[in-house]
Amino acid sequence: MNFNAARALAIALKEMRHILRDPFTLALGLGLPLLLLLMFGFIIDLNYGDIGLKVQDQDHTRFSREFARTFSSSGYFRLEPFSSEIAPVSWLDSEKASGVLVIKENFGRYIKSGRQGGAQLLLDGADNSKTGVVLSYLAGIMDAANRKFAQTPPRNSPEIRTRFLFNQELNSRWFIVPALATVIIGLLGVLLTAMTVAREWENGSMELLLSTPVSPLEIVAGKLLPYFALSLTGTVTVYIAARLVFGVPFNGSQIVYWTACSVFITAALAQGLLISVVARQQRLAMQLSMISGLLPAFLLSGFIFPVESMPVFFRYFTMILSPRWFMEISRGVFLKGAGFMELIRPLSALLAINAVLITLAVKKFKTDIEP
Amino acid sequence: MSAAAAVNVENLTIAFGAFKAVDDISFCVEAGEIFGFLGANGAGKTTCIRAICGLLSPTAGKITVAGRNVADDLLAIKALVGYMSQRFTLYPDLTVRENIAFAGALRKMPARKILARAKELFRFTGFDYPQDTLVQNLPGGVKQEVALCASLLHDPAIIFLDEPTAGVSPAPRARFWNLIKQLSTAGKTVFVTTHYMDEAEQCGRVSLMQTGRIAALDTPQNLKTANFPHPLYEISPSTAAAPGFAAALAASGAGAVRPWGLRYHLEEQNADLWRKFSAERAGQFSQRRITPTLEDVFLKLVGGSAA
Amino acid sequence: MKLNPAIMGFIKKELTQALRDPRLAALIFLVPIIQLTIFGLAISSEVKNIRLTVVSRPGDYLARRIEERAGASGWFSAVRIDSPAAQDYAALLREKRTEAVVAVPPEGLSRALERGDAKIQLLIDAANASRARQVEAYVKNVIALALADNSQAPPLPPVKLDLRVLYNPSLESAIFLVPGIMAMILCIITVIVTSMAIARERETGTFETLISAPVSTGEILAGKTVPYILLGLAEIPIIIAAAVTLFGVPLRGSLLQLAGAGFIFVSTTVMVGVLISTFAQNQQQAMMGGFIFLFPALLLSGVMFPVENIPEGWRLLAYLNPLMYFAKLLRNIMLKGGDWGVFWTNIGALCAIGATIAAISAARFKARLN
Repeated sequence: MNFNAARALAIALKEMRHILRDPFTLALGLGLPLLLLLMFGFIIDLNYGDIGLKVQDQDHTRFSREFARTFSSSGYFRLEPFSSEIAPVSWLDSEKASGVLVIKENFGRYIKSGRQGGAQLLLDGADNSKTGVVLSYLAGIMDAANRKFAQTPPRNSPEIRTRFLFNQELNSRWFIVPALATVIIGLLGVLLTAMTVAREWENGSMELLLSTPVSPLEIVAGKLLPYFALSLTGTVTVYIAARLVFGVPFNGSQIVYWTACSVFITAALAQGLLISVVARQQRLAMQLSMISGLLPAFLLSGFIFPVESMPVFFRYFTMILSPRWFMEISRGVFLKGAGFMELIRPLSALLAINAVLITLAVKKFKTDIEP
Repeated sequence: MSAAAAVNVENLTIAFGAFKAVDDISFCVEAGEIFGFLGANGAGKTTCIRAICGLLSPTAGKITVAGRNVADDLLAIKALVGYMSQRFTLYPDLTVRENIAFAGALRKMPARKILARAKELFRFTGFDYPQDTLVQNLPGGVKQEVALCASLLHDPAIIFLDEPTAGVSPAPRARFWNLIKQLSTAGKTVFVTTHYMDEAEQCGRVSLMQTGRIAALDTPQNLKTANFPHPLYEISPSTAAAPGFAAALAASGAGAVRPWGLRYHLEEQNADLWRKFSAERAGQFSQRRITPTLEDVFLKLVGGSAA
Repeated sequence: MKLNPAIMGFIKKELTQALRDPRLAALIFLVPIIQLTIFGLAISSEVKNIRLTVVSRPGDYLARRIEERAGASGWFSAVRIDSPAAQDYAALLREKRTEAVVAVPPEGLSRALERGDAKIQLLIDAANASRARQVEAYVKNVIALALADNSQAPPLPPVKLDLRVLYNPSLESAIFLVPGIMAMILCIITVIVTSMAIARERETGTFETLISAPVSTGEILAGKTVPYILLGLAEIPIIIAAAVTLFGVPLRGSLLQLAGAGFIFVSTTVMVGVLISTFAQNQQQAMMGGFIFLFPALLLSGVMFPVENIPEGWRLLAYLNPLMYFAKLLRNIMLKGGDWGVFWTNIGALCAIGATIAAISAARFKARLN
């Protein structure tokens, strides 16, 4: 198996020119990372606040007003009073509120006399994520309200001090921004590569290349190099934005991060190559890379939806997905200052997946040279 | 230009940015003619055809097809015109039957009519493969036949064929040209581009395009006699010929010399100098008088290689 | 009314091409179901499977009760008790061996409580900020419950809150997410398949043949959109059937509303595909153009996080996003029974967006080569 670096580089240069001349590839390759950074960094906030809560006060005492105030002063809810003609459920049916609070009559009177004041809270369970969060806020609010109205202070409760490690201020952007690199590489590395190489198969220019003295390995290396560079550029952009613009700390080792990054990019490229060889057609390549590359990177890697929350089967299934491991490494290095030894599990998994993908891709490529 | 002209082009210019693919050309094609369009690659032939068929908008000039202005009556013209493009334009992933059905559907032909016409055309072209074959599985020449059928489906009066025989082997090529001649006999106007000189000979009139302009337009015979009033000789240098033979011949003033493969064509312009050269270099070459072909005309007018 | 034969011919041709290759047909129909299954099952924004470590002196029965309570709650997994030998808790968290650490006073929680100065330290991995907050709430809840067992009949809280979670009382993530994912998948397929189909004609040269026939621009456009609208519509019942049978997502609203919403949405996304194709010269560009549209569309659709989380100024983008309206419609129709006010508002928005895009595409689409 011969390998002439100069020839591979010549092919790489040609590919680079294609990329630079195609406004679409540039837009996707450079514009998309920036777009994602913009969106996740500035626009989207994963912390829920400003939740619309319709309130109907049937009691009109200082107790009921105090109770309502507990909700509004928490900062999570936006209270809007409504009159009694409207059925509470209709607010939820018509999507006009996420929750409805009805403070019953005699709320204040009952509390003053040592009984229980009644209130009803209807939550929109159709919006699941919000509901879970609301429930967790609710616990704190109810606790505060009960303490406020309680005649006797509860005894024997411990003081619980919480320390949030790695992200003291619970900045949701610290969670998302380092993770963007994973998604970007998943897109650029797998999708673009698969499409580009499939295109060459489809229009016959791959056959032409293969008929020259250039060896298959040189072709592969030459074709993939620009996308490696593109993916790396995307990652570097994310890194710079994360550090400088969002102030995400980088507590770990640069060597570990960039090594892992290179391995991950290589795995993504190998995957793209494998897809292109299997698909041979652009339409097919696109669909395959979407299913096996983009959507897993987006939805199954722990980007927004944590791997821990997945059912057992998926927690094991995602182990064969390289984005999941790089996500762990990424967050580990940025936020947790994890070192090489602490990341040994994800690192070895990433290397293993990478090796398998490369072997498969090269083998299929070589044996499949006859179309 | 006669009133019955099938195609009339006046001062047509098609520019892409600063580049003029077609530069102020004018010509007309009579009804029932086989009109040949010759020229090197990039001369502007395909661009010109596309404009006439309404696929490109001209930058300047006027095109009339069957008496109708292309700029105004595009749909009506497209119903009268059949177009077979240079790029192979059937759907490779559809069968012959499906391709024909689609071509007919586009022209709003009823299904029965499509079937009847297809049968007729397949007989006409001698197509005898099963109609359920995927087009991508047909051999090259047969694909062209199917493409021709598709373009003739609606029985157009005027047919444009852009390099219909490119890459096709000689026997199917000859057959194809028989079909073209039959179409012409039936009264259709056929406008055809080709690089093959033997095919050009079979056209009624031939036009030579070069860098967007028309270099010549006449019947093949007229082109030959007009451009070669003097005798034409084929010169074959023998092994005894000294190097610099060609240069000497050119410098002798006997006439215009053009390389012809390993040989040369000499257009005699000065009989005396020619006799003198022949005498001086006797034994170094053999010669024979030949009839000029369109290729000679082409080379003389356009220069460069024949293709 | 006689059906236009040119358009019928288009429908036949496009569908034949799309479905002839079994791999492509599988991708269009089978894969959405697979995707739906995987994502519907896997994704959850619920907080569960929290790995908790309770650190105490061995024999501290209150600490053990906290551990038991945590295990019984269903939110936690792998609860352990360690003796407080020098353990770097932060390292445990870094290595992801645990997600939260509850450290009780080393001399014993009950004794500290009696003394009245019990301090419990809670260490939480806050890399995922929103999850961390919920973990904190759950842990505090568990601790409170564990300690409540201890004291004598606790007094009734002053406020009795009747809490009802509607439409999805079991808080099954799938029920919420699946409609959103359905909308996403449908959007992806219709946009990309349509834009690539048109770009393909241009790339292979068959576009030339198309425009050499006496078909009007409108007929070509119709021919290239109607087949894909039909394809999209065909997907809808398949995806819904999968959602209902595999995930138990209820279908409380009317099929009429569903059909109407589906039709308008698919028509809109197909027009988006056409618009993208007018910018692309070949399939690859069409695909990339598709992604440049899809990425923001997916993110701003309200499927992964609510639109309310988007700051006011940027929210305008979400309001221009057809996917946002369809996801909302789907959720409302399937889960809430389909409020007509919601229906008409969102359909109206979709129609407006779709009509605008159609107008722009029609203006840009030229039955010419130049």
